[in-house]
Amino acid sequence: MALPQRQTDIGPPKFDKFLPPVIKENYGQWKYHEELSGGTMVHVAESGAKIWTVRCASPRLLSTETIREISDLADEFCGGYLRFTTRHNVEFLVSDESRLQPLVDKLTTMKYMIGGIGDRVSNIVHTQGWVHCHSACTDASGLVKAIMDDLADYFTHKVLPNKVRLAVACCVNMCGAVHCSDIAVVAVHRKVPKIDHANVTKMCEIPTTVGSCPTSAIRPNPKDKTITINEEKCMYCGNCFTVCPPIDIHDPEEDGVAIVVGGKVGSLRTDPKFSKLAIPFFYNEPPRWPKVVDAIRNILETYEKHAKKHERVGEWVERIGWERFFSLTGIEFTFQHIDDFTFMRDTMRTSAAFKY
Amino acid sequence: MEQEAIQELIYAYSEKMSGKKKLKEKDIIKKISADAELDKDVVKKALRAMIDVGKLMYSYGGGASSVEIPTEEYLREKGMIK
Amino acid sequence: MSGKYKTPMLDELEKGPFPSFITEMKKATKISTTAEDALGQLEKSYQTKRGYWKHGGIVGVLGYGGGVIGRYSSLPDEFPGVAHYHTVRINQPSGFFYTSAALREICDIWDKYGSGMTNMHGSTGDLVLLGTTTDKLEAIFAEYSSRGWDLGSSGSAMRTPSCCVGPGRCEWACIDTLGLTYHLTQHFQDEMHRPAYPYKFKIKTAGCAVDCVAAIARADLSIIGTWKDDIQVDQAEVKAYADMGMNIQAEIAEMCPTECLKYDGGKITIDNKECTRCMHCIAKMTKALRPGKERGATILVGSKAPIVVGSLLSWVIVPFIKAEEPFEEVTELIENIIEWWDDNAKPRERIGELLEVKGMRPFLEAINVPPQPQQVREPRKDPFFFWTAADLEKK
Repeated sequence: MALPQRQTDIGPPKFDKFLPPVIKENYGQWKYHEELSGGTMVHVAESGAKIWTVRCASPRLLSTETIREISDLADEFCGGYLRFTTRHNVEFLVSDESRLQPLVDKLTTMKYMIGGIGDRVSNIVHTQGWVHCHSACTDASGLVKAIMDDLADYFTHKVLPNKVRLAVACCVNMCGAVHCSDIAVVAVHRKVPKIDHANVTKMCEIPTTVGSCPTSAIRPNPKDKTITINEEKCMYCGNCFTVCPPIDIHDPEEDGVAIVVGGKVGSLRTDPKFSKLAIPFFYNEPPRWPKVVDAIRNILETYEKHAKKHERVGEWVERIGWERFFSLTGIEFTFQHIDDFTFMRDTMRTSAAFKY
Repeated sequence: MEQEAIQELIYAYSEKMSGKKKLKEKDIIKKISADAELDKDVVKKALRAMIDVGKLMYSYGGGASSVEIPTEEYLREKGMIK
Repeated sequence: MSGKYKTPMLDELEKGPFPSFITEMKKATKISTTAEDALGQLEKSYQTKRGYWKHGGIVGVLGYGGGVIGRYSSLPDEFPGVAHYHTVRINQPSGFFYTSAALREICDIWDKYGSGMTNMHGSTGDLVLLGTTTDKLEAIFAEYSSRGWDLGSSGSAMRTPSCCVGPGRCEWACIDTLGLTYHLTQHFQDEMHRPAYPYKFKIKTAGCAVDCVAAIARADLSIIGTWKDDIQVDQAEVKAYADMGMNIQAEIAEMCPTECLKYDGGKITIDNKECTRCMHCIAKMTKALRPGKERGATILVGSKAPIVVGSLLSWVIVPFIKAEEPFEEVTELIENIIEWWDDNAKPRERIGELLEVKGMRPFLEAINVPPQPQQVREPRKDPFFFWTAADLEKK
């Protein structure tokens, strides 16, 4: 069968084709919103018009079968209108209030997980992992599934001091916002990569490979048209592997994940913050990474118990001090927690006032 | 200069650098426009026309893109050769 | 249904309340036999604790240099269905709005040529189709593009711009995030599809400082909606919050970072010139408080993930710029910013990294933005600074 004529550089369809009439009519004229439950809210326009949203978790990896199922639900309850969020949730956009409860009932019967709105845990932003990435040293989707199964109540109804944003990145390239999340998991290597010199010569640009190293651990070896790695300088980031595949950073027995906490992206009350290291390492324990799941629950529950209303994780820790964070959570403080990469001068304490 | 002549220069340079340095579009445009005293946009247009018909192709490695002479596999897949 | 491989470890991930990606992969086996091999290889990864995908290769559609990411199994003999298993990025509509008809159209084409697996959505924003072979790419592109869907981006290019829901469904949106993102996406089509930059360049647009799209953390160029005049206060609604039991003194006044908001037990007063527009009070009292009416955007530059020398958050470059249709002023600024980076960066150097090497002054001069205290958290600490000949002439 002949193919249709291709078009280039047309860009995406314009979004207004996909807006429900109530949004088109009240575009930019929203007045306020109210949370109706952990996963439902209503937005009210200046005109008095309303739109109801039902938010459900998705695993991000969706089959076309499930997308069709979601589409059928949108047809039945929302005039066919829906959207996705930046955190991989599905949002059903209900224009007719009488369809709201029937939709919630049907989604509940079909075991959709409704929630993620307000001062709760929302869906976890995450990366491709072993499912489809060359550089992954853990499986992001599996970790997300295990963590969210455990924290399901915090997604659907339990209220926290403020919203808590989680992320999982399957390597330090961090194709998710791990570096600025309340609690996040990032996969790390712990050993110097193994070099397949013959293939380095064949496949890699030496200057690019040398330039890829943040700690200047890689030096050219012009005689053999390859590179050498200074093992004392290597911090196992794996960027050399990205530009030169024969430098194999993977080591299944020594790869694993770290947990970082206290980051945020919004400017509310305090500036956006980077996440900081809480726990330097857990071994990969597929399929359910029980120690990682327990550690995240411990941090979340400690925050829930001690933070003031409206404090984000990072704001709470800054108020009580990191030394108190470690004592309250019972997390061990190690050499790995002290920055010896680029930020030591900014992160060491320069005051004689601190807690025990 | 005729576009075809510019394209011959581009191809010759790409061939010469093949296996030595991964050329970015900008490297080629800079070199040819300097050597032949041409406007950069003219060279860019000639280069793009080559890419559109598979005389050159975009390549990718380690997160960065470059321009290369197509492999046979690529040309066969695009129906350029049997 | 699935059955080619035994997947005892993956089956564990079908239990529990959160929707299971394994169930999704198993559903895809009804669409394509290759999804069986994807499951088989993933089970092997779970058993051996390592991935089996090779680096991206050279695949794409004629004329484009991005939008398709080559993906090959390192175990093609064991899992032949995923020997070639490429990713196709489809440019999402701004704000991720769809209709059921649009989604079915996407699914129909993908079922014909691919694995039946997707990501809704990738981290940059694209709708991601997971798993197809090189020989199908031109057909996939013809089918999608003829129906109005274009490819997204990859490699050293303008990456697919992305934004929050904005004025589509949010009362805090100070700029038209959806319209601006659509405009920028159209404006940079060539730069998205034909990778000619030193490295990737990401643009994200958030309607306010809550930043639901993580623009400040995840975009080389971050656009954040803001305002300049006074916060709009509805005192009747303030009273309603108090009547509902909100402790306005503790939760709002005492948590205001600049202490510019006062509550006298009845009314809220705001010393607006001391307000930093952080959004805390507005986000907590959405019925009573709203952003001002003189609206625009703050432009920040430079954020990225840790590779190579540590993560960066974006830095304030232009504190306030109008961002209204047809978006001319902001587009010109963005073009100037990118031009400076494109002219000065080494291969694989992000704009944040380049700024650390070159310093802010040459950049600000090149884009014609004056130094302003809003750009810094504090002035420099050490007495080392440059003077140019022109500086010395100013007696």
